[in-house]
Amino acid sequence: MSLNWFPNLRVTHVRRGDNRLTAATSSAVDRMDGKVKEQRKHQQKNSGPKAERKKLKKQGGSTEEDARKRNPKAFAVQSAVRMAKTFHRAQDIKGKKHHIPLVDRTPLEPPPIVIVVVGPPKVGKSTLIRCLIKNFTRQKLGDICGPVTIVSGKKRRLTFMECSNDINTMIDLAKVADLVLMLIDASFGFEMETFEFLNICQVHGFPRIMGVLTHLDSFKNNKALRKTKKNLKHRFWTEVYQGAKLFYLSGMVYGEYQTQEVKNLGRFIAVMKFRPLVWQQSHPYVLVDRMEDLTDPEKVRTDPKCDRTVSLYGYLRGTYLKNKGQVHVPGVGDFQVADVNFLPDPCPLPDAQKKRALNEKERLLYAPMAGVGGVVYDKDAVYIDLPASHVNQQQEEVRPTTELVQSLIDTHATLDAKMAASKVSLFSGSATLDPTDIEEQSGEKEGPTEKRVWDPNTQRERRAVVFSKEDHEKEEDEEVDDEEEDEEEEEEEEEEEDDDDVSGSSNDEDSDQEEEENEEEDNISTFLKEARAKSEGTETISRISPPLVKKQKLEEKVEGEKIAEVPVFADSDDDLEASEGESEEKVEAGRAGDSGHCSEEDEEASDDEDDESEEEEDGAAAEQMATESEGEEEQGDLRWKEGLQQKASEAFLRQQEAVPNLRKLVYGSVVNANDSDEDEEELGGLFRVSRPQQSKKVTANSMDCSRFIPDTSHNWDLEEMLNSIRDCFVTGKWEEGQDAATRLKEDEELYGDFEDLETGEVHKGPKEQQDQADKGEGEEEEDEAEESLVRVDDDELLKNKRLEKKRRLKERFNAEYDDEDATYFDDLKEELQKQAELNRAEFEDVDDDTRVQYEGFRPGMYVRLEISSLPCEFVNNFDPHYPIILGGLGSSEGNIGYLQLRLKKHRWYKRILKTRDPLILSLGWRRFQTIPLYHIEDHNGRNRLLKYTPEHMHCGASIWGPITPQGTGFLALQTVAGVKANFRIAATGVILDLDKSVTVVKKLKLIGYPYKIFKNTSFIKGMFNTLLEVAKFEGASVRTVSGVRGQIKKALSTPPGAYRATFEDRLLMSDIVFLRSWYPVTVPQLYNPVTSLLLPVGQKDGWAGMRTLGQIKYDMEIRNKPNADSLYKPVVRAQRHFNPLHIPRELQKALPFKSKLKYKIRKGTDTPRPEASQCDPRAPREEGGRPAPRSEHSSPLQDEEKPCGAARQTQGVPAAEGERRGSQAEETEGGS
Amino acid sequence: MASHGLDYDGCNFFRQRLVLSTLSGKRVKIKGIRWKEDDPGLRDFEASFIRLLDKVTNGSRIEINQTGTVLFYQPGLLYGGVVEHDCSPQRSIGYYLEALLMLAPFMKNSLKATLRGVTNDPLDPSVDMLKSTALPLMKKFGIEGEGFDLKVVKRGMAPGGGGEVVFTCPVRRTIRPMQFTDPGKIKRIRGMAYSVRVSPQMANRIVDSARSILNKFIPDIYIYTDHMKGASSGKSPGFGLTLVAETLNGSFLSAEMSSTPQGQGDIILPEDLGTNCAKLLLEEIYRGGCVDSSNQSLALLLMTLGQQDVSKVLLGPLSPYTIEFLKHIRDFFQIMFKIEVQKPLDDERKGGDKVLMTCVGVGYSNMNKTLK
Repeated sequence: MSLNWFPNLRVTHVRRGDNRLTAATSSAVDRMDGKVKEQRKHQQKNSGPKAERKKLKKQGGSTEEDARKRNPKAFAVQSAVRMAKTFHRAQDIKGKKHHIPLVDRTPLEPPPIVIVVVGPPKVGKSTLIRCLIKNFTRQKLGDICGPVTIVSGKKRRLTFMECSNDINTMIDLAKVADLVLMLIDASFGFEMETFEFLNICQVHGFPRIMGVLTHLDSFKNNKALRKTKKNLKHRFWTEVYQGAKLFYLSGMVYGEYQTQEVKNLGRFIAVMKFRPLVWQQSHPYVLVDRMEDLTDPEKVRTDPKCDRTVSLYGYLRGTYLKNKGQVHVPGVGDFQVADVNFLPDPCPLPDAQKKRALNEKERLLYAPMAGVGGVVYDKDAVYIDLPASHVNQQQEEVRPTTELVQSLIDTHATLDAKMAASKVSLFSGSATLDPTDIEEQSGEKEGPTEKRVWDPNTQRERRAVVFSKEDHEKEEDEEVDDEEEDEEEEEEEEEEEDDDDVSGSSNDEDSDQEEEENEEEDNISTFLKEARAKSEGTETISRISPPLVKKQKLEEKVEGEKIAEVPVFADSDDDLEASEGESEEKVEAGRAGDSGHCSEEDEEASDDEDDESEEEEDGAAAEQMATESEGEEEQGDLRWKEGLQQKASEAFLRQQEAVPNLRKLVYGSVVNANDSDEDEEELGGLFRVSRPQQSKKVTANSMDCSRFIPDTSHNWDLEEMLNSIRDCFVTGKWEEGQDAATRLKEDEELYGDFEDLETGEVHKGPKEQQDQADKGEGEEEEDEAEESLVRVDDDELLKNKRLEKKRRLKERFNAEYDDEDATYFDDLKEELQKQAELNRAEFEDVDDDTRVQYEGFRPGMYVRLEISSLPCEFVNNFDPHYPIILGGLGSSEGNIGYLQLRLKKHRWYKRILKTRDPLILSLGWRRFQTIPLYHIEDHNGRNRLLKYTPEHMHCGASIWGPITPQGTGFLALQTVAGVKANFRIAATGVILDLDKSVTVVKKLKLIGYPYKIFKNTSFIKGMFNTLLEVAKFEGASVRTVSGVRGQIKKALSTPPGAYRATFEDRLLMSDIVFLRSWYPVTVPQLYNPVTSLLLPVGQKDGWAGMRTLGQIKYDMEIRNKPNADSLYKPVVRAQRHFNPLHIPRELQKALPFKSKLKYKIRKGTDTPRPEASQCDPRAPREEGGRPAPRSEHSSPLQDEEKPCGAARQTQGVPAAEGERRGSQAEETEGGS
Repeated sequence: MASHGLDYDGCNFFRQRLVLSTLSGKRVKIKGIRWKEDDPGLRDFEASFIRLLDKVTNGSRIEINQTGTVLFYQPGLLYGGVVEHDCSPQRSIGYYLEALLMLAPFMKNSLKATLRGVTNDPLDPSVDMLKSTALPLMKKFGIEGEGFDLKVVKRGMAPGGGGEVVFTCPVRRTIRPMQFTDPGKIKRIRGMAYSVRVSPQMANRIVDSARSILNKFIPDIYIYTDHMKGASSGKSPGFGLTLVAETLNGSFLSAEMSSTPQGQGDIILPEDLGTNCAKLLLEEIYRGGCVDSSNQSLALLLMTLGQQDVSKVLLGPLSPYTIEFLKHIRDFFQIMFKIEVQKPLDDERKGGDKVLMTCVGVGYSNMNKTLK
């Protein structure tokens, strides 16, 4: 063992934790003992201070138990500053623990928790899911396709979803996950995918993350294993949070993880708590677990690429979903929901019962995409999913039918035409049939017809049961029953086999997928069918009926539902009609108690109604033939006409209910209005009766005014009218227990007792006196036992009153008591708690149908969403391994505009990002490609365009994209296609602002040259082209390269664009004048959703959008020609040539002797040279001021040159923005 | 991509539609605007309203056909800031202000709007009334703080106008839910009798007559007189009265009346106006509720735009305008209100039936406000 290297190691030093390890070490030490020197034994002290202290302790008689009391000096204030600091620190730590309190909006029955299992390939994701499912439900799943929902406990359901390695999938699932099980191959270590996923999670709100280390059995060396575990754990902690749970799955047994470990993991999952995530809490979403194509087959046949109508199923999560809302399907696009309805929960929680664990029947499993859950109910059809073996048998039996259907499907003429034209032979050998025969035949056909639906996810045909007519439904049921019985039998057999198989490794997993509860459901289904058959009467449900008929039927159904939905209001329908129609009568009847609910509109509407009613009477017969829905309305109308007399007599009664059903008045009357519009009759199919505009139309164009004209029936001169509002004032009568007298009394009870300290007199509150009185009465009561019966009621009343009083006192006490140390935080929390309770209680007793109208579909419901125009690729290229998410959008989140973001290049991304290079953003529910402009804010608030993102800094970015609330995080990728070696997340950030315009500017330098200079005034040309342009810039400040500042004064007529400017100093002709200006840039309007789900199966990770400029250039092998001036050229320096020094003879003569040339030459060989010739061309200018010092001193040049050159350097032009002029300026300057 | 728009017929409820469209981001198309009338198309005041909407938004698209009978409106983002607007004298400033009250809390920058035109006319809620009822109502929803104010700088009566009003409002990111089901008892009545370009005595005559009726109920009545002169008196003469009843729980019920505009209809005596206005207030009190009848729609809108929590408010009978507003809320936000009628008990003398409105907010957050 490696521990042998530490011979002195004592057992106590071994890290406690791994039992095996400890044992091993101790044994090692034992072995060592022989060789190692004996350790000194511990000697217990028997005397001395230590021993005394111990003794004292043993006796337990320590006098000063409190350290603070015992040693006050140690706790005295040493330094006020330090004390303040510690206090602040303590408060800071305390404050950090506070979260902003949120209203608890979790529904009573929450949706299943989404557990996403992530990890690189071959790390054991599917195995883990399978093991967990087996742990919870004792069932085995083969291929994990789509979400798998199970009931894991009395109050918890789980939905498992496997996340493939495609970055699109990772992004989508990170947005819906509640818990992430992050699988890490310990034998390999972390892989890029893990970190990518963690970063995605961080951006889109952080779900709970639990790491799971697998492949731990590949470690042979125990120490290496420990080390690896520790390293991985700490790295994981830095990414998630310190102390994040990392789970170890040690090894595989028969291709599965160890049962005990899986059980432990299951326990962790079962008790885990979650914190709400902002995005998920504010948006409804559905992780789709079932998809059905509802498109009319005929339409698909004629146009295979037509848009599909699809119904999607799943648990609603997040928040309330409104019907007809807008949803985004990541990877597909934005869609309007055609219809939403809720279905019975396929995986319900067990009923609330007092018991400890779930029984087998309650451990449900629902995974339609994985082929579990044999029977599937839809709104108008029932699908029975049979295992492959059954399909074969069935096919043989019903082949003729299939052939018929096939032959029908293959036809290209319309059915009727073909029927009429040709004769169809049903059986290969039989005689041909007439169309009439066929009709008979179809009537006589027995049993349910079936429709084969190719289900691409299970790769098998599903048989949709189609009911032809109610007569045959019973028979169908029987047949179905038979089939089911067969199934059951077979299953039982198989299960028995399974039981025999101790290892449980039976290959036939299909049988396992069939569950007991499904069979139950089947039985229930037969019940349902029977019930439906009875109730629906002639209504037939048919999947292959012509679309028109079907549509009608659907409508009928909807109508039926509507009526059923609001039983309370359906009854009062005629009441309303009556009240509207007979408002005049009502007025006659003296509507003293009328509230005026229907005052104005009714008066208007009443005329309307009258007109209508006349009309109806005219064309009553005609209208009876109209559609059923209208017919019902009419019935309502006609019914009140029948009982006109009677109703008039009941005027008073109705007045009680006359408050017309307001809900109906507000929300229901729209339908009526539309109906009346469509009621326009035609005469002879040509002419339309021209009536004077109905009042309806007049209202549509009447005055828009919010004022509510008062009810004229109220005469405020009458005393009774005045009395009717008497109690609205503080002077009026108060409610019981609220009026001043009671309140005063209460106060007295509270504060009544007091002792006058001066006089010593004790005042008693009235309560005690009353108590005494009560006592007296009590004694009396005993005597009058017979009368007690009569007084029971009074006692009750008294008791109630007392209770009430107690309650109120308690409340007051509580309020006062709490106020003492209640903080703002506590108050806020309490307020939110109250709101949450109200939210729960408000609609609790309303039935679901009505409830969804008020609050929308609430999370936890199993919903079915119908979307009418999905692209055909969605259905054709459907792959259940990829998640389909329906993300609900807020009211204005469907629009597009400019967004301003704060963005930072990810520190692990290798390159910086270029402005105007397309970028794929994951924002909100969406993934889309867009073209960002990067910018940074200057000190004056100007947003200056950047060419590239800064390396380690935030910068702003502006994009054209979907409107998303501020504060939403996003991440950016350059490509989502394939797997790249490097880290793929290019940038992360947050939305700051939404706008319909952008204010990003780019620097623009305009360059001009002086052509005339008078002292400080110069004429500049070449900066502008016209007089108008100059006029725009009059007064603007300009500058020369050398830093001379100036101002544009006035335009000159010639040459065009020239102007006069003044400067603070005289310019030179060689100076360059420039004007710094800012040019607004526009953000390119590219919004290109990533449609990865529409790609063919197997290529879904290959989405490629617009390429970056660099990519295009690389692909097309375009190389930019560099600026010739920027290229490096060999420096060719001309050999300097200096003339020999010539000193005029006169001068020589005048020189002192030692300076005479001939002596100098003699002295040394090298001649000091005057360096005037080296001086730079600017020298003459300086000479203008003062003569430059000459060769007298050793280094005059250096002193002169330095400041000048430095000045030139600092003027260096900031990076030109690619403007022609800018670059020219730089060049000229560089040249000087 | 963009959400489907909504289609409507006729020019009625014009403001509701445009305001809700702006708030929900859904585009709207209004057809058949006075198409059967001799003078078809949009009126001046509607055009002026559209112009105001254009001023407070950024990026909205408005298309009107040649006859003005069809209007297409694609809302932009609410921008706010300093806005000046000359309202059409056909309608009073209240017409514009009602819409602005609904939009102002949801803008990018806090709004400072200067509106010029008619401050008081008999048709629309006047500026004074909105100031005394709508502002306290909005405060209940958490729209308050520095610079939430409505100031009447100049008073201008119909038909000439010449009044000026400054409305400032801070922005909010979210609106808090409200439960307001107990209006409480009326503790005081306040009022404002104004007169411009007429004898200042008119106001006093109004006050006396109004008091004579209201004194039967409560002694705490104070009616201010406001006589504006010179430059701040607008262009037309007139007078009027606004009465507000305040309850213990902070709900405000108001009634108002103003003289008929010069040269239109019969002249009304100040005494009659006073008594009639007082009776209107009694009518309003009879209707009751926590919100007065002209602000019902504002309250309902703010409830709709709240967090996803239950809001409740007790109203008097719904006005036709409110009923239509509820329908529009359903169209734009898919929110339905639970409507329960509360009947007065037999021995209760608290006016007529009340309506308890309950809804779950849509979870609206101000998308325009910049995150710093």
